Amino acid sequence: MAEEFSTDGMLDMYLFENGQLLEQLQDMVLEQKDADCFDEDSINEIFRTMHTIKGSSGIMMFDEITAIAHKLEDVFYYLRESHPDNVPHLELVDHVLEVADFISNEMDKIRNGDPADGDASQIIATLDKFLNEIKGGNSDSKGGKKAAKEPPENVHEEPKQFYIAPMATSASHFYRIYIYFFPETEMSNIHAYKAVYALKEVAEDLLYSPEDILSNPESGEVILKEGFKILLQSQADEAQLREIIGVGYDIEKVDLVECTANEFLQGFDMEYVAPASQIDLESSVEEIEARVQEGAKTEAAEEKKPAKPALAPGDFVIESKEPGKQKKLAKDKPKAEKATFISVNLSKMDQLMELIGELVISESVVLQNPDLKVPGLNLDNFNKAAAQLAKISTDLQNVIMSMRMVPLANTFQKMNRIVFDVSRKLGKDIDFVMVGEQTEVDKNIIEHISDPLMHIVRNSVDHGIESKEERRASGKSERGKVTLSAKTEAGKVWISVEDDGGGLDRDKIVAKARRQGLLDDNKPDSAYSDKEVFQFITLPGFSTNEVVTEYSGRGVGMDVVVQNIQAIGGSLEIESQKGVGSTMSLKIPLTLAIIDGIVMEVGQSSFVMETGAINEFVRVTEDMMIHEPNGEEYIMIRGECFPVLRLGKWYGLTEYKEAVEDGVMLILEVESKKVCLFVDKLVGEQEIVVKPIPSYIKKVKGLSGCTQLGDGSIALILDAAGLIE
Amino acid sequence: MEEMKKQVEEDNAAVNEHDAQKGKYMTFKSGNEYFGLEIQYVNEIIQLQAITAIPETEDYIKGLINLRGKVIPVVDVRLRFKQEPFEYNDRTCIIVINIKSMMVGLIVEKIAEVVEIKDENILPPPTIGRSDKSGHNKYVYGIGKVGDTVKLLLDPDKLLNDDDLSVVEQANEMNNEE
Repeated sequence: MAEEFSTDGMLDMYLFENGQLLEQLQDMVLEQKDADCFDEDSINEIFRTMHTIKGSSGIMMFDEITAIAHKLEDVFYYLRESHPDNVPHLELVDHVLEVADFISNEMDKIRNGDPADGDASQIIATLDKFLNEIKGGNSDSKGGKKAAKEPPENVHEEPKQFYIAPMATSASHFYRIYIYFFPETEMSNIHAYKAVYALKEVAEDLLYSPEDILSNPESGEVILKEGFKILLQSQADEAQLREIIGVGYDIEKVDLVECTANEFLQGFDMEYVAPASQIDLESSVEEIEARVQEGAKTEAAEEKKPAKPALAPGDFVIESKEPGKQKKLAKDKPKAEKATFISVNLSKMDQLMELIGELVISESVVLQNPDLKVPGLNLDNFNKAAAQLAKISTDLQNVIMSMRMVPLANTFQKMNRIVFDVSRKLGKDIDFVMVGEQTEVDKNIIEHISDPLMHIVRNSVDHGIESKEERRASGKSERGKVTLSAKTEAGKVWISVEDDGGGLDRDKIVAKARRQGLLDDNKPDSAYSDKEVFQFITLPGFSTNEVVTEYSGRGVGMDVVVQNIQAIGGSLEIESQKGVGSTMSLKIPLTLAIIDGIVMEVGQSSFVMETGAINEFVRVTEDMMIHEPNGEEYIMIRGECFPVLRLGKWYGLTEYKEAVEDGVMLILEVESKKVCLFVDKLVGEQEIVVKPIPSYIKKVKGLSGCTQLGDGSIALILDAAGLIE
Repeated sequence: MEEMKKQVEEDNAAVNEHDAQKGKYMTFKSGNEYFGLEIQYVNEIIQLQAITAIPETEDYIKGLINLRGKVIPVVDVRLRFKQEPFEYNDRTCIIVINIKSMMVGLIVEKIAEVVEIKDENILPPPTIGRSDKSGHNKYVYGIGKVGDTVKLLLDPDKLLNDDDLSVVEQANEMNNEE
């Protein structure tokens, strides 16, 4: 049964799709968190999302996710159908986010190969309570209307399955078939399948419910309680069908109702309009539950159902409201034009990128082919064509690079969520403004900045923005403001978090730095610039927040942030003015794969060093050198003494220059440690594409990767930190 | 369903292709012997190119080459077998092999031919009476007979992934035999 299928591909799909759904859900909820209530579209959307998640989780047998999604679906079903106007909106937002968190958590577990063992019962209980509350408050005023509006039961609860493409033959009849088994029948689902199997012989079109009869043994119970429903298009007449199904010892009763093609198709269309129209398939959950309890009455209810075709599935549109009732429309919500996306396997993208790389190289092989150098050739036409080719291949390269670029919008949305959570818990009222969220950065970078950014945003909300009382006392508006902005400048991305809170207290930081012995005792406080002072808060164990809150103040954090940012070649800048606010700016490279480097030569080999690590180039003379008896060398440059590293000797190369006058000294600086690197000659500065050294080769100290130079040869990339060690 | 069907077909195609390659060996000369590599490991054969040496690596790892934008390491097979180094000339080739999705180039003196060796013509390597180049046996998993000649069949995985321990073992073996 279900286990027999390989679920790997399905699982990936499940995680991917639901991940996206949840993200959209959160965005939507947060967008409207400040409204009085959700607008109609959102309610539909949330309902739909939950329905989809419930359905797919059910198939994948993640029961807790199914249960919780089902419960939230119930809540929104009620909102959608009854339009209660007493819903505590913020509470509802909390509930939705809670559910989304739970599901995301479970999905993380599943993704990591752990069992999804979270317990949803508590959240479900809360949701139940919430649902009862809003229902309770509502029933008095609108009891009558609600009863009228609640759609009667729907025949087709589950999404249908169909076997054979519909053939609209005029001689076809359409049937609804209900099969009831004796309550003591075991494995009724298998019996039901037998009937379906038999009917397939004559069926032109066939749907049945519950549809998971083979994969889910539980469905047997449902069939026993509710009967087994089949929607059939066939040329056979009633008597023939009855014969095919056969009333055996296990089948108590077969109800056969002929219906019109229209009704039938109505039930069918939604298969194609899915998922939008699927949402109503499992309407009125309470009623079904109620029906299950009633048990005996079920049959009667079932028999009535065919008489109510007006409530055919697929009809998810909210019933029109009374004229007096105001529609909650999203008036001011701009309808952004939706871009269409496809998801592509990343390895295919990489492959494409490699191929384009190859293309560019073979292009240069063709265009600079020695055969073309024969004197007397007329190459005018060739050169024109070549220029055209070069243009296209450059464009191609740009496009593929841009494909790896992802807008920051998703990351920013996550921050929105954090601001919302933290500010709610701390009782602060905060405006969160996002600027430039469409700024694009390399996908790898996004993964690395998410955590540090989260930390900074949290800090801003937690102890950047003051409490309402303090704000009032200092004459600011009670509502704080946090601005998250992004821009690209000079090949770097700048992401800043700005708050209009209390700002950093310079005196406090200086005092604490003194206590911790970070300052030079001989220098007065005023000798340190603001920038220097603020950098102290990025040191481990340095927190000026006296109170440890749930979110921050433990003195860990800023140092980790800075570390993470530095790991991807970025930096953190802090500006602040006491009482006015502070701005934290992350400056990160656009992409990890391309760095600015200085190409140099030693002997026969080329090396590249990241430009940022080089302080300066110096021509030196022998008299500046200091030789130790043990072979170590130092150099005096402008009164400072640096250890000297001869790259040729260090790597045991051949044919490198010995005399310092013939080569160049590079002064490298990493974390304020300096060293002089001696190389033969500098070739130039260029942007280089970093490639890893194949894993087959053991890690060599001082090398961080390799790259391809313009002539196709390979240069090794030096790692300044490794060399200084 | 269609997807699955297609997948199955593709799998079948892959199996067929694999079948077609089965029993075929790429042979090359190194020293005085001919060696064989199962053809499924061989990606392509290229001419010798400029090699960028990497400092502080084993002597048999000659460095990196740029194969159409891909950086791959190259290994000198002669040095790997602890034979005398040889001068690279225009007959010298690089066999690019792909093992466990890792690409490595093997520098060999001379490419011979592709031969088909049936399973029944493959003998296990002799355990006694090793020649002085006993190092071979570590990488040689069988001896294939082709007419009157024999080809030493190489296990590429062992050829490349030689941990330090086995180097020591090998050295000991050689010492003992001396």
